[in-house]
Amino acid sequence: MWHKISWRLLQHELRRGELTIMAAAIALSVCAVLSLSLFSERLQAGLLERSAEFLAADRVLRSRDEVNTEWLQQASDEGLRWARRTSFNSMAFAASDMALVDIKAVSSEYPLRGQLEVGSQAFAEGAPTDELPQSGEAWVASQLFQRLELALGDTLEIGNSEFTVTQVLTHEPDSGLNVFTDSPNVLIGYDDLAATGLIQPGSRVNYHYLFAGDNADIERFESWLLPQLDDVTQRWQGITDGDTPLASSLQRAEQFMLLASLLGVVLAATAVAVAAQRYCQRNYDAVAIMKTLGGSRGLISRIFTLHLLLLTVFSIALGTLLGYLLQAGVIYFVAAYLEQSLPAAGSGPYVLAIGTGLLCALMFSLYPLLRLIKVPPLRVLQRDLAQSSLRAWLQWLIGGGTIYILMVVYSSSWLLSAALFAGGSMAVLVLLGISRLFIRASRTAGMQAGSSWRLAMAGMQRRAKQNSVQMISFATALMLFLLVLALRNELLADWQNQLPDDAPNYFVVNVADDQVAELNAMFEREQISATDLYPIVPGRLMAINDELVRDAVSKEERDASEFREGFGRELQLTWRADLPPNNNLTEGNWFSEDETGSVSVESQVAERLNLAVGDELRFSVGGDEFSVPVSSIREVDWNTMQPNFYMIFDPATLQTSSATYIASFYLAPERSDELYELFRNFPQVSLIDVDTIIGQLREVIEQVSLAITFVLVLVVLAGALVLVAQVQATLEEREKELVILRTLGAPGKLLSRAVTYEFVILGALAGLIAAVAMELSVFLLQTQVFAMQPSIHWRFWILGPVLGATIVALLGKAVCARLLAQNAAGLIRRLS
Amino acid sequence: MIIQTTAVSKKVETSAGPLTILHAITLAIKAGESVAIVGASGSGKSTLLSLLAGLDIATTGQVLIDNENLGDLDEEQRAKIRADKVGFIFQSFLLIPSLTALENVMLPAELAGRKDAEAQARELLGKVGLGERLTHYPNQLSGGEQQRVAIARAFIGQPKILFADEPTGNLDSTTGHTVEALLFEMNKAQGTTLVMVTHDTTLAQKCDRVLEMQAGELKEQSVDVA
Repeated sequence: MWHKISWRLLQHELRRGELTIMAAAIALSVCAVLSLSLFSERLQAGLLERSAEFLAADRVLRSRDEVNTEWLQQASDEGLRWARRTSFNSMAFAASDMALVDIKAVSSEYPLRGQLEVGSQAFAEGAPTDELPQSGEAWVASQLFQRLELALGDTLEIGNSEFTVTQVLTHEPDSGLNVFTDSPNVLIGYDDLAATGLIQPGSRVNYHYLFAGDNADIERFESWLLPQLDDVTQRWQGITDGDTPLASSLQRAEQFMLLASLLGVVLAATAVAVAAQRYCQRNYDAVAIMKTLGGSRGLISRIFTLHLLLLTVFSIALGTLLGYLLQAGVIYFVAAYLEQSLPAAGSGPYVLAIGTGLLCALMFSLYPLLRLIKVPPLRVLQRDLAQSSLRAWLQWLIGGGTIYILMVVYSSSWLLSAALFAGGSMAVLVLLGISRLFIRASRTAGMQAGSSWRLAMAGMQRRAKQNSVQMISFATALMLFLLVLALRNELLADWQNQLPDDAPNYFVVNVADDQVAELNAMFEREQISATDLYPIVPGRLMAINDELVRDAVSKEERDASEFREGFGRELQLTWRADLPPNNNLTEGNWFSEDETGSVSVESQVAERLNLAVGDELRFSVGGDEFSVPVSSIREVDWNTMQPNFYMIFDPATLQTSSATYIASFYLAPERSDELYELFRNFPQVSLIDVDTIIGQLREVIEQVSLAITFVLVLVVLAGALVLVAQVQATLEEREKELVILRTLGAPGKLLSRAVTYEFVILGALAGLIAAVAMELSVFLLQTQVFAMQPSIHWRFWILGPVLGATIVALLGKAVCARLLAQNAAGLIRRLS
Repeated sequence: MIIQTTAVSKKVETSAGPLTILHAITLAIKAGESVAIVGASGSGKSTLLSLLAGLDIATTGQVLIDNENLGDLDEEQRAKIRADKVGFIFQSFLLIPSLTALENVMLPAELAGRKDAEAQARELLGKVGLGERLTHYPNQLSGGEQQRVAIARAFIGQPKILFADEPTGNLDSTTGHTVEALLFEMNKAQGTTLVMVTHDTTLAQKCDRVLEMQAGELKEQSVDVA
């Protein structure tokens, strides 16, 4: 029988709109989580698919020796596809000349991701191909055609074998961005490798093993393989491991999405909490009546628990449907825009979304529900009675615990969640204090104001406790909105800055000292925007403060470091009078004019090698050894398409005529045909085309920008819902007040204005608090999470209060409009 | 005796210290009797009603309903007594706003797990003249109509005792008279004991007996004239 009562209550209350906010809050949390995680999972998969092309695989195992074939067997057993790519430097001989080349021997499965592109003319656009060089054939990069004056069909001698050049190799998915490997690539079949006789014991050969497959399969294989790897000679690499040009952008995007969806969920959860509270308050009378009419506590618990469960199920179903549709709609537009279809998502997002909805609805309703069930029957006679032997800390405990659990679920990190949670709680306490102060101050100010204002201030003061909680919600919602907005703009601007339309798309390397002037003249004559030409001298870092480098770096540090190989081999050193663009000094000073004999070190290297300004570094350059102190430490943006260096010397220390020069420049794609002519006079110069890489980067950034905009919209919706739920929660209180004021003859205009002013003040104060809190959060996030330059957002200090006042006043008035429109008799009747 | 109290007092804690609302009230009400409790605001009449109905418990003294001592019972057991033996009518009607007139009347019977709730509720609403307005929600009904629904709800459990707290207090005099008439008529028909708190001396005079409360004490008992 009792379940009929639950069902009946639900039906009627839904129809009468009494549960709209609660249902909307739960549905929105489900909808937001589902659409966001579906979308981001699909986008993520799409991005990884694109990004995997930078590796030509999902994961790559790099090794200095051939690996145990058992490992490859294991990969096959796990359902992975794999390919070999063996590369080394060797001389290649053509009819007239010879050159140092980078031989890449690949097995027939290569590439596992992305495509090779080939053409019939050097430095011209190529076309994608699924083929590989046949036995006895070699595909050769454009630079080698230039250097050896090759033509298609010519013979190239490598070791003991002869190869026919059949294609110009214009693009390899995994060619990367290392501009210092200036030896042109020669691609041959793996089966032809042994016959060259070039691989001898002791040869310096890079054995790369490429793997691709389902994520789960890869992760299983990874956990089997990783413990067996030799840290010194072997390295396992994925797309987000930090050494592809995309990695840092992808990581930031991932962090942003995670953060934004977490914030969205916290907002939606807040809305659920507020709505649940109100839902239960509205039912105090019903419970008291039922108890008076003889309903037992057990029975009433069952009725309302079932009622809440039904409501939750209904809202979750609604949210799931909306979330799916929303995501499908967005994907539809995004896919059309990107000319790329996104892979389907798994069941993970559904589990996550439904789980979140259940957790939010049940946990946030628990405390109000417990209170509801404890309402004494005596309330029927003493209307103000709402038993609360339950302590308020229980509510904070349940609410806080739930938010913490959600954070852990979303970030999969106890520690990060604890840090965020502690920070958030502190912020709430501080906000609570500030808002109380503001409310008190506004009361004093209001005493001198006109009657509507005075009424508004009095209202605020009377509801000080409610209002400060309300103000926190407003401020939090506004802050999250501003935060997401600011971060979105920052991230996008940051990425756009890295890749302006005229970002360099070619590197020119191997420029001789006596050609520098001529090349600069050519750039100027042809109106090509180029970076400065940077001299390069190969050298080695031998010692730090007289400790040999190998001794100074512990094995663990070397293994964990992406530079660990950097100092076993030669470094490219340069000198320069002024600080290069996109470099920022973090310590020390740049070389003064009369200063000689010092070096500026890149910050990540400095961190790895534990260097500080004043440390003595010993270098070996061309057989000479010399020591110089570190005069400054620089941050370098490695994503810019410009020559970047770990070590920069002052001009006096290193200047030598044996240096070669490097620069990058932008040549509009429609002018690429001119390349051959432009560089005809510079035969020994090598050109490296990074256009494709830039194109891929841009595409990724576009996808991510869209995702971020989408997240912003959801956060706005969640925030608005919190506001409406909050205003709704104070409606009854307001009703009572309005009845009294109306009955006393207060004109409608006065009341209407008072309500508006109260919300305007609340909103403006909340907006101001939000702007301050947002600024602090953005600063922390920029410096601690996103590794960006911090910035101040003055316009948000205006935008916050204005936006707050406008939105809160509009929403508040909209919610109260029905009340204000009623006459006194109507109001009295509503109350009775 | 259907209701009997012995030296019942009620104390509450206030910020200014303990306050005694009722002082040693002793009274007895016979089955089928109608009793009005009158008195000024704050005299303790509603508190007395809440103790008699088992909505609250006395600080000292005994309240017996149908020979059961409410002080010995926990809240669940008192709820059971209310379900089985007691009906209520309130000044502010206290209908559940999201249930229709019919569903409001059915509620006590359903809470008691009775199967014939709907048929009975229809019949009772017919008796109070609202047979045509079964599916209306409380806010679609006038005050008088709402109180008639409340009367129907009070009688559905065929209670032995009916407690009424200012049943006409929120109604204009014409509607109030209609509701009064209905209340007494149904009370008589069902043979219920009626305990009513009211300000309205005319209404009080219609009862068999009038008890007057003054500052928490039962000052005067005007004995049944009939």
